[in-house]
Amino acid sequence: MSTDTGALGALLLADARLPTGGHAHSATLEAALEAGLPEERIPDYIRARLATVGRTEAAAAVVALRAARDPGSGPDYSPDYGPVQEALAARTPSRALREASASLGRGLARLARRVDADHPAVRALPTAQAATPGLRALRPVVLGVLGAVFGMTAEQTARAALYEDAQTVTAAALKLRPGDPLTAVRWLLDLAPHIEESVRAAAATDVPHDIPAHSAPHIDRWAEAHARETRRLFVA
Amino acid sequence: MPRNTALPENPVLPDGAVSPQSTAATAPAATAAPTGRRTLRLGVAGPVGTGKSSLIATLCRELSGELSMAVVTNDIYTDEDARFLRSAGVLPEERIRAVETGACPHTAIRDDVTANLDAVEDMEEDFAPLDLVLVESGGDNLTATFSPALIDAQIFCLDVAGGGDVARKGGPGIGRADLLIVNKSDLAPYVGVDVDRMVADAERARDGRPVLALSRTDEPSVKALCDWVRAVIGAHRSGEHTPQDPGPMAPHSHGPEDDGGHGHGHGHGHGHGH
Repeated sequence: MSTDTGALGALLLADARLPTGGHAHSATLEAALEAGLPEERIPDYIRARLATVGRTEAAAAVVALRAARDPGSGPDYSPDYGPVQEALAARTPSRALREASASLGRGLARLARRVDADHPAVRALPTAQAATPGLRALRPVVLGVLGAVFGMTAEQTARAALYEDAQTVTAAALKLRPGDPLTAVRWLLDLAPHIEESVRAAAATDVPHDIPAHSAPHIDRWAEAHARETRRLFVA
Repeated sequence: MPRNTALPENPVLPDGAVSPQSTAATAPAATAAPTGRRTLRLGVAGPVGTGKSSLIATLCRELSGELSMAVVTNDIYTDEDARFLRSAGVLPEERIRAVETGACPHTAIRDDVTANLDAVEDMEEDFAPLDLVLVESGGDNLTATFSPALIDAQIFCLDVAGGGDVARKGGPGIGRADLLIVNKSDLAPYVGVDVDRMVADAERARDGRPVLALSRTDEPSVKALCDWVRAVIGAHRSGEHTPQDPGPMAPHSHGPEDDGGHGHGHGHGHGHGH
């Protein structure tokens, strides 16, 4: 694989057509609407995620990217994703959301192995789950690994994590409260300053300890309730 | 930025962080490659209401005594199909799992099979050695077929109540699924459909691939279905069976040059799924 794939990787990871299971997720929007979130506040819901759970996840993706990068020690380098996986799991209080993230991580890990199974960053993926037995590598951790494989920057990796979170909401919104798809594009563009602010914060995160623990208690509660629903379109 | 100092870096999560489903899934996942895998992954697709769940219940009832089986269902809005199968008592409940498809049942069996592949791999690991996993698609339209990235063989299910002309309309599932079922054949007299004619139409659309008129109350037809499944499992294990992609909807023409019912584009100089 060519080494100059950073910009393309950023587009790939942000593309809804990436076949890694994202289409079955709503970023808890389905549960939020079920709990009474008015549909005109969906843009506020996206913004709330960007400032809280989205920022935590983007920071974790950046920390994973830094852990995954070759420090210059040659082809035998062997990253350990245990610390970032543990730090993110500890900052994700809802079990339903940890499992949803692990499910998305599983799809991304399948992609990573298909892209370059022998890459040291990919070979080390089991270190994530080893740190949290029973919980597979979380989505941001594998995003960071793919960022390293593609040669993406911290900003590109953080933006991919945040953009994808926001677009998961807009895409699910079109299924749950059908409206004009062009309006959803507008929502996203209007949120650009919030995305970029969170990109900057995430990109400045170096080590697991610095990953912020922004929680969104409503989202946690909604996600837990959703996991017990029998009528749902989306996993989480 | 507020730093988290309250939570330890090595947390003991109060609820265990592990679901019963994910506990066993700690070993490396199997690849999607068919080589060397014991389990046959068999898809059942077809329009809504044609009897896919009932067909699967029949297979479980008839074959679970001789084969180790599991089922993955793809409902669009509920876990109704999984509940139907569980309540039918044809398999232990834990061997029937429902996956969500984000309102895109079509996508979940073709463009992005991740959720289904995860469920299939989990079942194969949890109940190893497994002989047969049935994957039921969410009832979609005539164009939805399984990708070989997910399954090894597929059944496409029509029914007589959907109209005798459906088989003539063609499409990838009707034309190129490994087996085409014309279901609810016992209802034919009540809906004014000639089953033999419908089967003959389907056979013409399928270049010799098998078609079976099925009714769960017609024992010979049920036996024929089970024999077909056994034969595919045998061919899968011996390496003689190669997964085929029914492919996308091919161009279709109805004109003076139409040669009588083949559901793929004549005169356009292209192949169809070879």
